[in-house]
Amino acid sequence: MSDMLASAPEAPSLMTVRDLAVHIRTDAGLARILDGVSFSLPPGGSLGIVGESGCGKSTLLRAILGILPKGALVPQGQVVFQGQDILKTPVRGRIGFIPQDPYLSLNPVFRAGDQLLEGMRNHAPGTRDDHRKKLIGLFHAVQLPEPQNALDKYPHQFSGGQRQRLLIAAALACDPDLVVADEPTTALDVTTQREILALLRGLTAERNMGLLFVTHDFGVLSAVCEDVAVLYAGRVAEYGPTGNVLADPRHPYTRMLLACHPDRATDLIGIPGTVPAATAQPPGCRFHPRCPISRPSCAVTVPEMARIFDGSRVACPYHADPLPEVALG
Amino acid sequence: MAEMIGARDLVVELGAERGLLRHRAGVRAVDGVSLSIQAGETFGVVGESGCGKTTLARTLLGLQRESSGEIRLENAVVSGTAPSLARRQRAAVQYVHQDPGAALDPWWRVGATLAEGLRIQGLTNRAEAAARIAETLRAVGLDPAFGERYPHELSGGQQRRIGLARILLLRPKLVILDEPTAGLDLSVQAAVLRLLRDLRDRFGLTYLFISHDLSVVKRVCDRVAVMYLGQIVEQAPAAELFAQPRHPYTRALLGAAPRLDGQPVAPTLRGDPPSLSAIPAGCRFHPRCLHADMSCLEREPVMQPVAAGHGVSCHHWRDAA
Repeated sequence: MSDMLASAPEAPSLMTVRDLAVHIRTDAGLARILDGVSFSLPPGGSLGIVGESGCGKSTLLRAILGILPKGALVPQGQVVFQGQDILKTPVRGRIGFIPQDPYLSLNPVFRAGDQLLEGMRNHAPGTRDDHRKKLIGLFHAVQLPEPQNALDKYPHQFSGGQRQRLLIAAALACDPDLVVADEPTTALDVTTQREILALLRGLTAERNMGLLFVTHDFGVLSAVCEDVAVLYAGRVAEYGPTGNVLADPRHPYTRMLLACHPDRATDLIGIPGTVPAATAQPPGCRFHPRCPISRPSCAVTVPEMARIFDGSRVACPYHADPLPEVALG
Repeated sequence: MAEMIGARDLVVELGAERGLLRHRAGVRAVDGVSLSIQAGETFGVVGESGCGKTTLARTLLGLQRESSGEIRLENAVVSGTAPSLARRQRAAVQYVHQDPGAALDPWWRVGATLAEGLRIQGLTNRAEAAARIAETLRAVGLDPAFGERYPHELSGGQQRRIGLARILLLRPKLVILDEPTAGLDLSVQAAVLRLLRDLRDRFGLTYLFISHDLSVVKRVCDRVAVMYLGQIVEQAPAAELFAQPRHPYTRALLGAAPRLDGQPVAPTLRGDPPSLSAIPAGCRFHPRCLHADMSCLEREPVMQPVAAGHGVSCHHWRDAA
């Protein structure tokens, strides 16, 4: 481990995921959910993880949060957070989590304050009174109406947008160095979504917190994240600054996926085939059965992450080849 | 073009009690909506949660009885009847559930679910039913063998296709699609949207397309109505609405949508939508509006023509332009 860390990239890193694999034994065989995922997040940086259902986004989050399901195997790889491999030594209170659904994440029969304070009791220094003061201050920061009284309200007394603000405050309550958000705005209207995204980006930047943001919405991604990793079938297909990836996608999968976006597509065609089941990952490049420019070697060799220009990498040796018109609609 | 379905001054009140002992005012989930959907078009309805989109759909469908106003289906007045009769009268109007997976019985093979609809419609000949099911499954791009599967064996995209097959079997003329792509991955969404377009052309369908995904609405709808607190505040051909939105709410809504090319353009809309139980006086949007003045507080705006087929309900749409 030490020499791997010694060869770490020049830039300081808040979190580095290196060659991470997560497999789960199922009745249908070994599910290779993640295989060789690597990326790194600088302190205060923001990274988006995008991909379609079944690409391993949730498992990656669970690995980082230390809540992998029982029976999950980690045959290789590390998640180094502030110099410590958190797969071996879990960290507590330094990673905040914002869940997807503000409606499901609060217990309806307890007051908001009691639920938030319970989390702080074990992970934040100070007395209950300190914690109350801190939360009220955070409620001001997340622009919750009547911050003084919010602690005594029940979840149903908040609207959906307000509940998501409440959960952002909860995620920031222990002054984490990293905030992990799992599609935090899918349940919200666009007008509310926009405010929540601006708030999240503002607060994490202001406090120099890293932000790891899982989404399947490229529009949300471009509003929030500096960098993006595109996952396909448990591997990183493309990685780089968000602006570059959206303006000039290189991996055939990213190119075809972006061509499906209603703002981009000239004709709606989708991507033929389906994401492979985790128990039946194709050999070689996992996208090759659906790829319009695949060659025989793609079915054999796992593509290396190739550096295309500063900071951008793509897992396809043929990334410079044009795609047939029909595949891009 | 002929009108498929139309509504005039439609009001739907929910939760009202007018008993002998108790009298309670309800909320007006739909409050004076007039629209006219032409045969063969895709008509979009957009707005935030609680704006009355789904109540409007349920009322047009006949599942919810209107409090006042008129509904026309193919130029015949169909409003003013009890829901049980209304659904029979409006068999040409069908609804695709927002989550078609949840609308399927997990214990039934999808073929059995599909056959049930035909049986209710009075088709008892099994061979004919099977033939129609196979034909419809092929039309939505599935192998007829999918009839043997259980709902949990289907992907999200396949469930949408079954949801479509289920109503296509009933040979509808107007299909109400409630958030037809919510929760779908981008690549699957593209395939579903393409299928919807193909089916419309092939079977001569008319769509009422309810969605909050503005990119999708822009892409597939011919005309769009924007709803706010139970009322239509702006209505226009889709291309014109997206190019030249006139109502401040439409501008805010379009501006808030996340864009691939970076930052949103319009100023932020402050606050959550007010609840239907406390509707602001005058223009309903005035507490959140950047252009509001005393006249907005005092007078409720009426729909004014902006251009051919483009109407807006705002006192100040000229200033805001």
